[in-house]
Amino acid sequence: MTTNTYLIKEGYDNLNKHGSKTISTMLIICATMLILGIFIIILQNVNSNVETLRLEQGLQAFIEDKLTDEDIAYIEDQIRLIDGVSEIDYMDKSEAFEDAKNQFKDQDYFLEGLENLDIFPASFIVKFTNIEEAEKITAEVEKIEGIYKVKYNASTIDAVISISKVANGFLLSVGIVLLIVSIFIISNTIKLAVYSNKREIFIMRYIGATNSFIVKPFIVEGAIMGVISALISFIIISIVYVYVYVALNTNFAMGIFRFIPYSTIWYQILIAYVVLGLFIGIFGSAISLKKYLKV
Amino acid sequence: MIEFVNVTKKYDHDVCAMDNVNIRIEKGEFAFLVGPSGSGKSTFLKLMIKEEEPTSGKILIDGKDITKLKKKDIPFLRRKIGFVFQDFRLLYDRTVEENIIFALRIIEATEKDIKAQLKSVLQMVGLVGKEKYYPNQLSGGEQQRVALARALATKPPILIADEPTGNLDPKTAEEIFKTLLEINARGTTILVVTHAKDIVNELNKRVIALDHGKVIKDDARGVY
Repeated sequence: MTTNTYLIKEGYDNLNKHGSKTISTMLIICATMLILGIFIIILQNVNSNVETLRLEQGLQAFIEDKLTDEDIAYIEDQIRLIDGVSEIDYMDKSEAFEDAKNQFKDQDYFLEGLENLDIFPASFIVKFTNIEEAEKITAEVEKIEGIYKVKYNASTIDAVISISKVANGFLLSVGIVLLIVSIFIISNTIKLAVYSNKREIFIMRYIGATNSFIVKPFIVEGAIMGVISALISFIIISIVYVYVYVALNTNFAMGIFRFIPYSTIWYQILIAYVVLGLFIGIFGSAISLKKYLKV
Repeated sequence: MIEFVNVTKKYDHDVCAMDNVNIRIEKGEFAFLVGPSGSGKSTFLKLMIKEEEPTSGKILIDGKDITKLKKKDIPFLRRKIGFVFQDFRLLYDRTVEENIIFALRIIEATEKDIKAQLKSVLQMVGLVGKEKYYPNQLSGGEQQRVALARALATKPPILIADEPTGNLDPKTAEEIFKTLLEINARGTTILVVTHAKDIVNELNKRVIALDHGKVIKDDARGVY
């Protein structure tokens, strides 16, 4: 057995020796990690939806009736010249009618018989490369001759963006608090472990143990607690997410909100949890060791 | 081997625990350090293993001035000095064998060395056959032998015993001293702090007496 294997084994034995304390610590770490995980997943979902919204939202520019094909092509060229425009789609009158039918879905009976009346105006759907430039682009589109109205849902988009900003800020601060709590809990457990091993540490010092030899088992103990808590939290959160995902996607329509499929984020969560667990474990034990062993 | 040159140690409020002490203990020597409580014996030992720093003076161990030693090198100084305590300081949740291996792990001995040293020290202190016992299953004398074995396992050139027989009956104490003499005969320098007057007088070894932090007597073949 090399010295390092021995020290890892000592760390592992410490976990067993402080059994009930270890379990209660890991339970608390799991709980904070789960809350953190739920927040992160909500945040990821919100951000992913905001991002989709950012890309999908555009403006709709309605064109005057009785324009020639050439006029329409000219308008399209004019729009295309504006900075920040990523995509232009032309929707003619019959497509506009279909679109209206789709929007009303079950109540489209009142549109019956209107097919040939051309009451819905043709329009251009313009998408942006950057949502922040939306207002500037809208203003420029409005100036183009042949366009009589521009529809741009500014307030909805602004609201979603500001909500997501607030949510990000809130979750970040809650996350930091939970992280500090976890570090504090681990450091407290290690402090007790150091205390209960005081006699051993005293003897080690007299025999000539280096600081790293004394400290390593405690760091290992903290790291194992952190990683095990991370893995347990990961398993729980995976089961919950998949269950919620299936339930929400099959039981009722979520409207425009789309959940990220778990298959695309599970590894991110796993990596984040393990890194977080290691960080909490190592950092938590290191701060208590620094204080109590005067390393 | 151990040399104190003009060593003075003052604690706060000008309490002088060591007052210009000059002592030289040669390699392979066996010496007693005696004196009443508060005479400076403990300070002497603490200075030797650099648990305390002298206010002035030099302390040489193996020719090196340890007052200039860096913090990170202190463990390596301590590996040169085996320590035995009055209350044994054993790990009671580990067997005799595990207590000894504990010391060998600390100095990062190889598996081969661990095996060889374990066998050798168990023989030296007369504990062959008791490897799997827990300290609580042993008598006081045997527990002190385990402590001795642990201190010797790392092959230190110097062995310090602080009141090694303070908790033992006279007969057992005598046996422990017999073992210490045997260890000394193999070349280990030994310094024993003790109040065991009879044994000191009987063994006729060097006796250094301290009082109020001063050396008041240093006889090559002395009595308590």
